[in-house]
Amino acid sequence: MDRRKALKKTGLLAGATLAMPSFLSLLQSCKNETRLDWQPEFFTEEEAKTIAVLIDTILPTTDTPGGLDVKADMFIDKVVAHTYDAEGQKNMQNAIAEFNARSKEKYGSIFPELSDADKTAMLKEEEANDPKFNPGVWGTTVGDQKPVGFYRSMKSMAIWAYFTSEEMGENVLSYDPIPGGYEACKPLSEVGNRWSI
Amino acid sequence: MANFNIDAKKDVTYDAIVVGSGISGGWAAKELCEKGLKTLVLERGPIVEHVVDYKTMHWDPWDMEYRGGLTPEEKKKHYKNIRSGWVGKDTEHFWADDEANPYTEEKPFLWLRGHQMGGKSLLWGKQTYRWSDLDFEANAKDGHGVDWPIRYKDIEPWYTYVEKFAGISGEALGLPQLPDSHFLPPMELNCVEKHVKERIEKNFEGRNLIIGRVAHLTQPHNGRGQCQYRNRCSRGCPYGAYFSSNAVTLPAANTTGNLTIRPYSIVQEVIYDDVKGKATGVRIIDAETNEVIEYSSKIIFVNASALSTAHILMNSKSKRFENGLGNDSGELGHNLMDHTYRVGAIGKVDGFEDKYYKGRRPNGIYIPRYVNIDEKSKSDKFVRGFGFQGGGYRGGNPANEESFGADFKDGILKPGGWEFFITGFAECLPYHDNKISLNHEVLDKWGQPTLTIDAEFKENEKALNKQIQEDAVEMLQTAGLKDVMGFDKEHPPGYGVHEMGTAEWVEIRKPRF
Repeated sequence: MDRRKALKKTGLLAGATLAMPSFLSLLQSCKNETRLDWQPEFFTEEEAKTIAVLIDTILPTTDTPGGLDVKADMFIDKVVAHTYDAEGQKNMQNAIAEFNARSKEKYGSIFPELSDADKTAMLKEEEANDPKFNPGVWGTTVGDQKPVGFYRSMKSMAIWAYFTSEEMGENVLSYDPIPGGYEACKPLSEVGNRWSI
Repeated sequence: MANFNIDAKKDVTYDAIVVGSGISGGWAAKELCEKGLKTLVLERGPIVEHVVDYKTMHWDPWDMEYRGGLTPEEKKKHYKNIRSGWVGKDTEHFWADDEANPYTEEKPFLWLRGHQMGGKSLLWGKQTYRWSDLDFEANAKDGHGVDWPIRYKDIEPWYTYVEKFAGISGEALGLPQLPDSHFLPPMELNCVEKHVKERIEKNFEGRNLIIGRVAHLTQPHNGRGQCQYRNRCSRGCPYGAYFSSNAVTLPAANTTGNLTIRPYSIVQEVIYDDVKGKATGVRIIDAETNEVIEYSSKIIFVNASALSTAHILMNSKSKRFENGLGNDSGELGHNLMDHTYRVGAIGKVDGFEDKYYKGRRPNGIYIPRYVNIDEKSKSDKFVRGFGFQGGGYRGGNPANEESFGADFKDGILKPGGWEFFITGFAECLPYHDNKISLNHEVLDKWGQPTLTIDAEFKENEKALNKQIQEDAVEMLQTAGLKDVMGFDKEHPPGYGVHEMGTAEWVEIRKPRF
């Protein structure tokens, strides 16, 4: 992606409406600096950076907000801190450590410190190897689900955090809290983006 | 809406007592009150007043701190409920506390309960179908269970009475195996559902794909508003657009001035007077104060759900009924049934990429029973039959797309591809050894015996499920869907949340008293 363009847009957005922390964390991740500008509740500095850079690589800022613009990283930290039990938290930390160990072994450093080209190379490999989610029926998956790895899980979690953020839900995706009726067959062009809820 | 009279302490004698305020308790209260009887409704949980107590009804995901996620403490409180996949922050308060109200699974069984005014009428699926004589005559014809004492013609006026008051939307089709209700206008099938309907009905004689028949108002009805297509029903509907005790029957009962509803009232037992030779009242524990109180009445209507009703009757021991009230036959607590659940097929539909919908329709499609309905459709593999629910929608999991970055992100802002699924609900036969029993070792928060549930699906249900999956895959493939995948989650009973049996048959089996 064109990072300079993205930064410019994010900068404009941040200056206008969005809170500063997400802008700063994006800025820092681009420069491969190591300092976080927010205090995670659960993650270590390195874990938080890994999540942030992963989110930024999967859901970068374009004409529309990216994952970090809507603070998906900070939300995931909060979710892991408050909705995971001790075992789930441990598993999450182990998975991040393994992910970074793979990155180090193949590309020489942990994921958040890789060059853009190496990040892309690594995630392409993860995409190819990590099993996919089976379809769901009424909220639970059906069929024989292969164990999904850290990459696919975090990608899914990032998209969830992204889509359920207020900024995306109300201003970017199509938002209609009280539809009032059902239009069963409507041209997509008249709706635009997917419904947020 | 007037407040409910919850001041039951000063008066312990009523004309009628109704135990439970769910769908059947709400109806019992309405009918008794409207006939002029001073009626006490005993509810084990808190008052949930229509609209006033629907605290989550307008929440968007971002209004919840964890966007619907539950804390470990909340998950622990619902450690059984959570297996259903239905429990989130938006409805957590309407699902019973599994820790305070334990039960023992001799074999796996999911028992979902709603311990509040309105019970599960707040949480149900709203699918509302009449039985036909195919159902009422089944026991007599195939010898499983005892014959129903009524036939369709006996109950038809009551179906009409209930439907006209509740409001059921659907399409009249004149199918003998699925008699039409008194319908409000049907909800609409979306374009993919219409497409699949056409293909299935063309290729499979005797099969119909219809819009679900549901207790959702599609036009204003008896002072209640119509569905606004928010699909946030289980949080409580501010428009009263779906049928619940809270929105419909209890307010009707309340307007008579004859209703008293007492919250936090756990009914322990029905009191049987051996001298008078009749039931004279109930004994309750106040869930908040642990106070034990007796209420008396001429009529006692136990509407505590299939399992809890049997639980109360088993707990109601007297000289005359040493094994539980009315249990001369020994069948009390037996013949527990549920529909099978989550067996079917799912696939992708091409060709409608430029089509979408507006509104979140709280309803799907239905495929009425088509096996064992006549000689031609008779199966030699099983008795009874099944129907399907399902639907078409734009979904897909964006996390599955083998891509990331700017183009990926912009792409997933558009809706995913169309998917369509059907999932069957098969009838379960009554088996004597599918049963519940009192457990005096595991006690609830109030020191009372709990239930041990010992039930399983057997050969006939497994044969039905096998047919469901085969038929589902065949129908979706024939309809031209891609990547069709059959599934059977092999759920134990309980997941369908259609518990039946355990109590309703006992008097009918051996009417010796």
